Amino acid sequence: MLQLPEIYAENIHRWLPELLYYSLTTLKIGFFSFVLAVLFGVFFALCRTSRNRFLRGFAIGYIEIARGLPIVVVLYIVYFVPPQLFPGINWQWFSDFTAAVLGLGLHGGAILAEVFRSGIEALHKGQREAAISLGMTPAKAMTYIILPQAARIVLPPTGNYAIGLLKDTSLCTLIGVNEIMNGAKSIASSDYQPMAVFVLVAVIYFAMSYPLSLAVRYMERRLRVSG
Amino acid sequence: MNFFQIIEDKGWYFFTTLLSGWPATLTVAIGSLAFALVFGLIVALMRMSRWKLLRWPATAYVEFFRGTPALVQLFVIYFGFPDVGYQPSPFQAAILGLGLNGAAYLSEIYRAGIESIHRGQMEAALTLGMTPRRAMQYIVLPQALRTMLPPMTNFAIVLLKDTSIVFTVGVLEVMALARQLVTETLMSAPIYLMAGAMYLCVTIPMARVAARLERQRQAWH
Repeated sequence: MLQLPEIYAENIHRWLPELLYYSLTTLKIGFFSFVLAVLFGVFFALCRTSRNRFLRGFAIGYIEIARGLPIVVVLYIVYFVPPQLFPGINWQWFSDFTAAVLGLGLHGGAILAEVFRSGIEALHKGQREAAISLGMTPAKAMTYIILPQAARIVLPPTGNYAIGLLKDTSLCTLIGVNEIMNGAKSIASSDYQPMAVFVLVAVIYFAMSYPLSLAVRYMERRLRVSG
Repeated sequence: MNFFQIIEDKGWYFFTTLLSGWPATLTVAIGSLAFALVFGLIVALMRMSRWKLLRWPATAYVEFFRGTPALVQLFVIYFGFPDVGYQPSPFQAAILGLGLNGAAYLSEIYRAGIESIHRGQMEAALTLGMTPRRAMQYIVLPQALRTMLPPMTNFAIVLLKDTSIVFTVGVLEVMALARQLVTETLMSAPIYLMAGAMYLCVTIPMARVAARLERQRQAWH
C-alpha cells in the first residue's frame, strides 16, 4: 500500500520548491494570455456588434472556429503550422512559450468576445442614443457610457474564464513549455513516484485556482444587477 | 514542398488515417458522457441533501475537480493508480478521468436545473402521496430537463473537445494519429489543420443545436 504521508515527508523539501518554480511559468503564461485574450476579445466583440457586414462576418467566423477547436489543436496549429507555411521567415524568436501565449490568447479571445458582446448588447440602445443626442461622439459614448456599465455584466464570466485559463495552461506541456506539468512529469519519472507527484501538482493548481473562484463568487454577489 | 502539392499527394492518406481515430474519440466522449451523466446526478442530489455527511464530500469533490486541470486528473489516474495497485487501460483511464471531471461540472448543471423548478412542485407531489424519490423522478427532473438540455449540449461539446488530451494516456484517437502522422511525414501544417477541420465538422453543428435548444427554452418561458 502506498504511504503518501511518508513519501511527502521524505521528498517534499525537494519537490515543492522545484514545482513552485515551474508554476511561475504557468502563472506567466496565464497572465500574458489573459491580457492577449482581453485585447482580442474587445476587438472581436466590437467587430461582432459592428454595423459593417464584413467585420461582423469576420468576427462570427473567427469566434465559431476558435470556440469549436480543442485547445490542444489550437496550440499545435499555432506552434507548428506557421513555420511550415512560411519557411522563408526567421522563426528563431517563435518559442514554445510565445506559441502557448498566442494560442491560449487566440482561443480566449473568442470566448471573451462572446462575453463582451453579451455585455454590450445587454445595455439598452437608448443609452447610446441618449449619449449621442447629448452631443457625444460614438467613441465617447462607448468609453464613458456603454463600457463602464457593461463591465458589471462582463466581470463575473471574465473571472470564470480566467479560472479556466489557469487550468488550460497545463496543456502547454504538450508543446513542450517548461511549466508545472512538464516539471511534474520529469520529477515523476526520475523519482518513480507518479501518484505522489501528480496529486501534489493537483493540490498546487487547486491552491492557485480556488482563491480565484472564491473571488469570482464574491464578485458575482457584489455586482449582481438587480432586475 | 508546396502546401497544395502535399495535399494532392498525401491528403487522402492523411484523411483516412485521421478518420480511423474517430471511433476511439467518440468512444471516449460517449463513455465519459454516460459516466458523467449518472455520477453527476448522484453528486448533485448529494449536494442538495439535508445530511452534512452527504453534502460535504460532494461539495469537496466538485470544488476539487473543478479546481484542477483535467490533464492532471488523467495523469493521477493513469500514471498514479498503478502505485496503489490498479493499472487502468488507456480507455479506462480516459473515460474515468474525463467522466469524473465532467461529473463535477454536470452536477452544477443538474443542481441549477433542479433548483429552477418551483418548490411547490415537489411539495404538491409529496402531498399527493409520492415518495421523495418518485417526486424527483417523475415531477422535478422531467421539468428540469428543459432548463438543463442547452447547457448539457454545451457540456457535451466541451467534453468532445477535451477528448483531444487523452492521447497523453495512450488512447489512439484523432490527435494521437495526427501526432503519429507528423512524426512519420514531418508535415505538421496540413495534418493539424485537417485534424482541426474534422473537430469543427462535429462541434459547430453541435453548437448550432445547443443554440436552438436555448432559443426554444427561452420561448417556453
